[in-house]
Amino acid sequence: MNALASPPTRTVERGLFSTYGARLGLPAGIVATMLVGSLLSDRFLTLQNLTNVLINMSIVGIIVVGMTFVFVTRGLADLSVPATVAVGGLLVLGLQPSIGTVPAALVGVLAAGIAGAVNGWLVGYAGLNPVITTLASGTIVLGIAQVFVGGVIVYGSDPEAQAFLTGRVFGVVPVIVLIFLAIVSAGHLVLSRTVIGRWSYAVGSNPFATEASAVPVRRVRAFAFLLTGTLAGVSGVLLGVTLQTARPGIGMGYEFDAITAVVVGGVSLLGGSGTVLYAFGGLLFVQLLTNIMVLQGVATEPQGIVKGALIAGAVAIDIALRKRGGRE
Amino acid sequence: MTTASALRMTGISKSFPGIRALSDVDLDVAAGEVHAIVGENGAGKSTLMKVLAGVYQPDKGSIELDGAVVRLADPIEARRRGIGMVYQELNLVPDLTVAENILLGSTPSRLGIVDRRALREQARAVLDELDARIHTDDLVGSLTVSQQQIVEIAKVYAARPKIVVLDEPTSSLSEHETQALFRIIGRMTSAGIAVIYISHRLREVIDVAQRVTVLRDGRLVETRTTSGITAAEMIRLMVGRDLTEVFPKREVEIGDVVLAVHGLSRADAFDDIGLTVRSGEILGLAGLVGAGRTEVARAIFGLDDADAGTIEVDGQAVRIQGPRDAVRAGIAYVPEDRKRDGIVPQLSIKDNISLSVLDRVAVGGWIRPGAERTLAQQKAAELTVSPPAIAPRVDTLSGGNQQKVVFAKWLATKPRVLILDEPTRGVDVGAKADIHTIIGELAAQGTAIILISSELPEVLAVSDRIVVLHEGRIAAELPRGAAEHDVMHAATGEVSS
Repeated sequence: MNALASPPTRTVERGLFSTYGARLGLPAGIVATMLVGSLLSDRFLTLQNLTNVLINMSIVGIIVVGMTFVFVTRGLADLSVPATVAVGGLLVLGLQPSIGTVPAALVGVLAAGIAGAVNGWLVGYAGLNPVITTLASGTIVLGIAQVFVGGVIVYGSDPEAQAFLTGRVFGVVPVIVLIFLAIVSAGHLVLSRTVIGRWSYAVGSNPFATEASAVPVRRVRAFAFLLTGTLAGVSGVLLGVTLQTARPGIGMGYEFDAITAVVVGGVSLLGGSGTVLYAFGGLLFVQLLTNIMVLQGVATEPQGIVKGALIAGAVAIDIALRKRGGRE
Repeated sequence: MTTASALRMTGISKSFPGIRALSDVDLDVAAGEVHAIVGENGAGKSTLMKVLAGVYQPDKGSIELDGAVVRLADPIEARRRGIGMVYQELNLVPDLTVAENILLGSTPSRLGIVDRRALREQARAVLDELDARIHTDDLVGSLTVSQQQIVEIAKVYAARPKIVVLDEPTSSLSEHETQALFRIIGRMTSAGIAVIYISHRLREVIDVAQRVTVLRDGRLVETRTTSGITAAEMIRLMVGRDLTEVFPKREVEIGDVVLAVHGLSRADAFDDIGLTVRSGEILGLAGLVGAGRTEVARAIFGLDDADAGTIEVDGQAVRIQGPRDAVRAGIAYVPEDRKRDGIVPQLSIKDNISLSVLDRVAVGGWIRPGAERTLAQQKAAELTVSPPAIAPRVDTLSGGNQQKVVFAKWLATKPRVLILDEPTRGVDVGAKADIHTIIGELAAQGTAIILISSELPEVLAVSDRIVVLHEGRIAAELPRGAAEHDVMHAATGEVSS
């Protein structure tokens, strides 16, 4: 096409820090934490300790994958996670004696997935506020779960399944950690390489232009919540089977741990940016920090203060980077 | 006029990157006068008023209020100096009462607690001065649009301004309501307030104003008294311009009807719109701001719902409930508001170009990076996006290149019908020429094109046929070669001479 040359492009100037700071800050933080940890305690840099860190990460880490999608699509957060985790844990143990562990696990994940689909419909299609919606749906689902178990603890009856999940492949890595890492990898690939992943970024960045570009915006929004519900169900099933006991309250706190990890991993609450890998990094960072504090004998209460400060710091950095980058 | 000037703006110039919005404009308004400002879209009316409101700082020129030179550094300063603005978009809080809205900035209080009685009395006094019959305790949200507008005027009036600017105050008012508004304007002028009245309704201008200033392309054409002037004369002054820009029109063979729209209606936006566009044809959609051009385009593309009407593409009736249906039917839309509806800022140039056709470069939901890159590179090259790299984020590009990326996205869908809504607005001269070349090329390839532009010379030069909208209805259909004043007559609702 014979078109005239355009004047030079105006490029937004970005400093080195705002270009790479966000990308390198977290890995650097993780390395620094490990250095500090190994200096403070001989027990820190042992295979045993680091494996423990990974095991501790696994349950909440699976939820982090879903929560990343919620953040990226500008869906704010899914607060129904404690309920969907409980649904998975209660159903797998409650149904185990009658239909066997694997079918019970599938029913548990499916039920949590249905709760996620309802959230997705309410947020994506009905356009309700995600925070209020998931707060309400979580309370309702938890109520149903409590009716299901009669408000008491459910005990498992399949020690073999428990042994399988906690058993170690090559004597090193527990199966549950492998499941977690597989889900993180799959989640990362879906977000970075698939159509629905790309749509998720677009919806979170500018929903109006995305809708005008013939992208099914509502479906993409709903997908993030469906995914989070399903993955929280998986977490609940794994938690129930490993503990061989489940109460309606077993999922409590996972929503905030997942949100902490996602925020520390640099995924923007305003949507449109962030990756599953970085959310995983955020989780790893928080877990390592917690581990060091435990090894140093720091009490639980100061640990909470540190975590809270981390979230505030991460959000402050996100906002600062946005301002530097001239984004709004 | 012998009366002292309340406002004298002299030699006002204002440029924006690539655009000269105002060149050496003078405006003189006397106390107690109604002074109208008229001109086409983009003639500089809004810019001039924003200079007066302290929103923009002029590059050159001076502003005198009551004979004293002032600098209006910001809107607060302008308000303090007695300049009251009533914009088309009302600035009211619907959940507060009439009285609370009128005295929002100066609510009477005692020890921090609102003095409700004083509030009501003061608001009543203001409304009585304007002879407005509105209850002070009604919620603003429950009032009609015209009543809300009166509350807005009362709010401005309560600050005791010397000059009040009314921007298109009657655009949503009935005849009866307009008369009520004129009474209020009369009250203000008899209190010595200078009223600046901006309107596209030329008859009203003649009725209400003593003098009228005509702007064209950012320049002052003439200021004269309204006695003896006709609407036709004003139109002549508004459009009689020198051709400063040439839009080359490419000759293309026009084929069969591709898009046919029948009886398309949407409440409060447009009514009974019928259009056809043929293969290779460029249909210009002209009209003033608010005539319903963009609304019609958005409804055809499925961004807004239509209440009635049918749409056919290549003779087949299509049901369009959203942009997905429209794209499937072969319709593409380059939107008016690029920032809001055009680009996805955090994504790369490549990701923006492929956004509407991801399924074509994906297998089983997985994007094939090679295929996507090839597609994006090819489209970016066709449209001469600069720089040619497709990895940078789209929001690092200039406005013109962002617009080319939006074009590239739609060309990737291989549309049968392309609707262009202000495709060259805010675009630099080079990119503008590029975009015109692209439009000609697309027409040559047989695409049916609808062009909406507020730049009348652009519409006139490029279109094969022009449909003029006036207040949501088709006012005229004009052949190629129609004169600018024919279009303006239809667009202002005046019978063509």
